[in-house]
Amino acid sequence: MTRKAHFERNTLRFPQKDFDMVKEGIVSLGIVGVAVVIVAAIFGAPYRPAITNQEIANQKPILVMQTAMGDLDGQGEMAAYGPPYNNGWHGVAQNIQSIGPFSPQTWWGTPYHLYTPNADVITPLTMLATASNNTALQAAIQTYNAASYTQQQAWDNNFTNALNKATVQNGQVVVPSGQYGPVQLMMNDELALAKSGLLSGALDRETNNGVYRWNIQNDLLFLQGPALHQYAKTIDMRGEQWGINHDEQAYPGPWWLTPYTFLYQVPPGSTSPSGDEIVAYTIAVLFGLLVLLPFIPGLNKLPRVLPVHRAIWRDWYKRLETTNACASCPLATSCNKEFHGPMTAAADHEIPACYDQTTSVGKGSHFVSQDSGIQPHA
Amino acid sequence: MNWTKSMRTTVTEKLTWDNLLPSEQPIYVSSLVYSFGVFTLSSLVFTIMSGVIMAAYGPTWYQYSAAGAFFRSVHFWSVQAFFFFMTMHLVGQFFMGSWREGRAMTWVLGALSFGVSVITAFTGYLSRGDFFAQWNQVQSKDAFNGAGLDGFLNILNNGQVYGLHIAVLPLILIVLVGWHMVAVRAKGVVPPYQAAHVQKKEGEKR
Repeated sequence: MTRKAHFERNTLRFPQKDFDMVKEGIVSLGIVGVAVVIVAAIFGAPYRPAITNQEIANQKPILVMQTAMGDLDGQGEMAAYGPPYNNGWHGVAQNIQSIGPFSPQTWWGTPYHLYTPNADVITPLTMLATASNNTALQAAIQTYNAASYTQQQAWDNNFTNALNKATVQNGQVVVPSGQYGPVQLMMNDELALAKSGLLSGALDRETNNGVYRWNIQNDLLFLQGPALHQYAKTIDMRGEQWGINHDEQAYPGPWWLTPYTFLYQVPPGSTSPSGDEIVAYTIAVLFGLLVLLPFIPGLNKLPRVLPVHRAIWRDWYKRLETTNACASCPLATSCNKEFHGPMTAAADHEIPACYDQTTSVGKGSHFVSQDSGIQPHA
Repeated sequence: MNWTKSMRTTVTEKLTWDNLLPSEQPIYVSSLVYSFGVFTLSSLVFTIMSGVIMAAYGPTWYQYSAAGAFFRSVHFWSVQAFFFFMTMHLVGQFFMGSWREGRAMTWVLGALSFGVSVITAFTGYLSRGDFFAQWNQVQSKDAFNGAGLDGFLNILNNGQVYGLHIAVLPLILIVLVGWHMVAVRAKGVVPPYQAAHVQKKEGEKR
């Protein structure tokens, strides 16, 4: 094939009919525009206000203390998460995904560094103590920081265990008396900070190096555990509930993520600790197949044997039939099969001459447009 | 090789008015399937227009004002329409085997547009500023981290996610879609099966 032929709009050799592309575009814009505006005006769009640490602190104060304690003593999920936030708690990470030795999660180190004791407890409390001139809190933080790691862990463990027996009285968390060192005061103030609504600001300030408030990483990571999960469960948004795949009831969600979400419902996506990595790379491979479909032997021939194209071009095939194109065709059998029989695609070497407008059989008679009278561009 | 001359030749051969805005089509173009492409494009136009208005006023506007909520709804339903028609378009073109006769790149560009659209829509979900944005952020962070994308994308950084959603990804999408459309027009819509074999034979004769 010559270079010129390669660029040519080679469909011009078929019979042509009038077609108004600009009108089609404008009409389509009109239809879609009117439909979208009407549907938007009637149904609106889903919106459920964001959850704040303040709300959680007021509704479930013990949960806020448990989260803060997990961040302080290293037992919490984010304290030991691993890359990209940290290298785990004292070098032990809990959430590094890998398929065998393939672990891309570790490739980039810890670009979004999160050291939970400081980020979520010590720094916000230090800011609170400074802002409120709270000398008792300042002293408690100093005592905690100066203590040995063993001593810190002892206080932490005692208070974490005490939280399991805690009750809420007048919005305050009440625990049995015990050896908590400065931790109880620190946690009471952490809760007070959260209730005031300023904890999120303190957490975001940490992530944003004190400037703009774009990066809500630490705020979300503080919320991300039981607080959001408990809430999400009540509206069927958890992973095993096809979470991300749907929106609020009666609204269509991002249904185009269905293949991706589906992989989380079946093993190994639903069972493996590296499920995310497995699902992501499975989708990447499947998407690669879709993109490269024209080059994949077998798959690229599939629509030829499926009969759907006969329905799409039914007018064209019917036209060949009504003009009796097959009657004088040297390959009448395969030509007829193309129009009628199930699973009857002709083999590659069989080229029904009745399709060929350039041969003496077809030329000039069957392939001149009956509608417009336009001659084919030979 | 003279790149200037090569580019000029390509453009003058491909991007003629006759190719870009043909006033006639082959007679086999006679099916609803052919309208899915143009409906997809129309939905994209409304998605972008409503998105530009929302971005101009900012995230708080579309969360806390009636006019903002309306444009957020228009944006939401435009996206739904866009994905509906794009999926129908993709399925239809698959059954037509529309990558035939030198149209492989057209398919590749279309499929890539689909992929970029999914990522763009996802960053949109994270830009809603409501519970679903929060929830999808904390849930998907494990997926992005596990897949090794954490070196490029902090899904919890709204500045980055919003920037990707309103500028970077749409720009990539517009380029891909534009290129896809030029490819469609330059080659014409794929002929029906079997007739294509004749074309192949014809091409060999030249």
